[in-house]
Amino acid sequence: MTLQELTRPWTAFNYGFLDESAKRELRRRILKAIAVPGYQVPYASREVPIARGWGTGGLQVTLTLLKPTSVVKVIDQGADDSVNASSIRKFVGRVGGAVETEDTQAATIIQSRHRIPEEKLREDQILVLQVPNPEPLRPVQPDMSVAREMHGDADYGQLWLILYEQLVRSGRIMQGSSYPSMVNGRHVMTPSPIPRWDVPKLNKAGHLTILSAGREKRIFAVPPYTSVEPLVFDDVPYRVEDHQDKTCYRSNATGYFMNELPQDDGSSLYELSDSHFGVKNIQKSEGETVAIGETWYKNGRMD
Amino acid sequence: MAYVATRGGERAIEQAERLFRDDIGTISRERIDAVRIGLPYLIDRLMGEASLYEPDLAALALAQAGGDLYEAVLLLRAYRTTQPRLAVAEPVAQTDLFTVRRISAAFKDIPGGQILGPTLDYSHRLLQVGVLKGEDFTPPPVEPAAEPAPATQPSLATWQKVQGLIKDYPAETVAPDEIPDLTREPLLFPASRAHKLQSLARADTGGTLALGYSTMRGYGSVHPTVNELRLAEAPVRLRHPRGTIFSAGRVRVSQTEVISKARELELGFSATFGWNEVKVIAAATLDLASNQPNPHPASNEEFVLYHTEPVESSGFCIHFKLPHYVTFQSSLDALRRVKADKQPSTSAPAAAEKLQPKKEEVAL
Repeated sequence: MTLQELTRPWTAFNYGFLDESAKRELRRRILKAIAVPGYQVPYASREVPIARGWGTGGLQVTLTLLKPTSVVKVIDQGADDSVNASSIRKFVGRVGGAVETEDTQAATIIQSRHRIPEEKLREDQILVLQVPNPEPLRPVQPDMSVAREMHGDADYGQLWLILYEQLVRSGRIMQGSSYPSMVNGRHVMTPSPIPRWDVPKLNKAGHLTILSAGREKRIFAVPPYTSVEPLVFDDVPYRVEDHQDKTCYRSNATGYFMNELPQDDGSSLYELSDSHFGVKNIQKSEGETVAIGETWYKNGRMD
Repeated sequence: MAYVATRGGERAIEQAERLFRDDIGTISRERIDAVRIGLPYLIDRLMGEASLYEPDLAALALAQAGGDLYEAVLLLRAYRTTQPRLAVAEPVAQTDLFTVRRISAAFKDIPGGQILGPTLDYSHRLLQVGVLKGEDFTPPPVEPAAEPAPATQPSLATWQKVQGLIKDYPAETVAPDEIPDLTREPLLFPASRAHKLQSLARADTGGTLALGYSTMRGYGSVHPTVNELRLAEAPVRLRHPRGTIFSAGRVRVSQTEVISKARELELGFSATFGWNEVKVIAAATLDLASNQPNPHPASNEEFVLYHTEPVESSGFCIHFKLPHYVTFQSSLDALRRVKADKQPSTSAPAAAEKLQPKKEEVAL
């Protein structure tokens, strides 16, 4: 036996960029996160070749889950072709040889910044959400050590207080995105800055969602078929954005989350925020045969 | 695919990167060498923040980033993290350091003597504008002392401990593999001593200075005195599998002890790769100020360590350039609803909000 036989030829980087010890750590943290839904597991969070705050947490998870048969979709604010999404997708393809896709139905791993696709995800798909701030308690407790104790005690009263203050001041709950949500009846998590429209998609979903904050070094998960309930008062129902009646000016699809496009005359046009879902709807309207999956929302409502 | 084509970012993205690289031009071995030889203190600062001691790689990172220091730190860190951790070097005590500069502000003279070494501290900061007109600036040669200073120096703190001036905390023996490693574990609080010093060692120089300066100016109860500051070369000694210890070379390091004059004498400490005096003085002050009762943010270790991390802070700062239209849309929705709620149900026009007129400055 020679040394040559025991080693592999030199390469510029490992498969999936991260070295095996980093991946092993991350797999263990992911398993723990799945075992305790909504609980923030600290992890080392290695540097990756994109800047912190640009999806390094999500990228580390995607790189760890990656295998040559993976089909990866990356979206940013709903769009596949956004600057950062295409950069991340290219990187994953470059270091992992994975198939890149824009089709939600075809993907095995979907890394997303701040949106959940409109088509329902399946049990064999994993959603990886990029998280800027993993701590729902940050507005009431900026000290992470103290916040950790509050999670331990399920001490969430102050979160309801914030919502109550919003009701008193504005007559409405003003929380936009990142709506704090109770997971499995135990841990409050931030669902990441997805719009309120997307939060109900996590509740009792068939797919696994992994939420990863690279800069803050925290990972948490919503396992399949786990309850995710936005914090609400019994007499003030949860309200998603008023997009149920909006129609996409390109595809004529109605009842999904839209991007508002301000026009020169002061009015607004709307287009589907989920860009590839939009592409499919345009193709369909042009008479092409396209497979559009079942959607979470039907006619702008989710039951 | 009209939908995507009109968004069409990919080509623009590629060309944007090319524009940046076009400004910098070809990166050659000569350029790397020029950066490394001409800018050793910048290389040192970079290696400290990257926690990777390799002057050639640091010079390459600087050249590739066109001198954007945060980009260069990220390049090096992202490279470093993929490299295996092969061995743990033997600990280096102060008395092992091949010291080229060593000063104490606490005493006029100290055992082993004050050694000024290389510094601009006492120089006149005048630009040598002649160079731009073609007159090379060649510094006058160094005149060696009749008797060279010894390569190693005793530790001032040891003398102070013998005098009973400062507490001599018992040293804990930790097996090499058990030494906490911040690059392989998350930072949790309260931070271990090892994690804290590692975190300060690779902290952002500017950030460390800003927070350290705030405690020096009076936010906090620390009035530091530089007990001992060293610029040195530290021997890197490794244990061969057969058991013998051998030298694998030297790395430039700087370290500072600051001492408090409040109530009892206490030391704050910081060390980093490369020669970077501002950083180690500021970081040692932050170490000393850490977790004082009724603290200012700069004396709270969680506040300090989180906010001086160069890769995380710079990355998060520039991420605000990313599109945020979904999150913005979500907030807009709530704001519009509230506005709609406030519209009176009667047809009477809503009382116009009194707007303060904007003051405009007029150039006369």
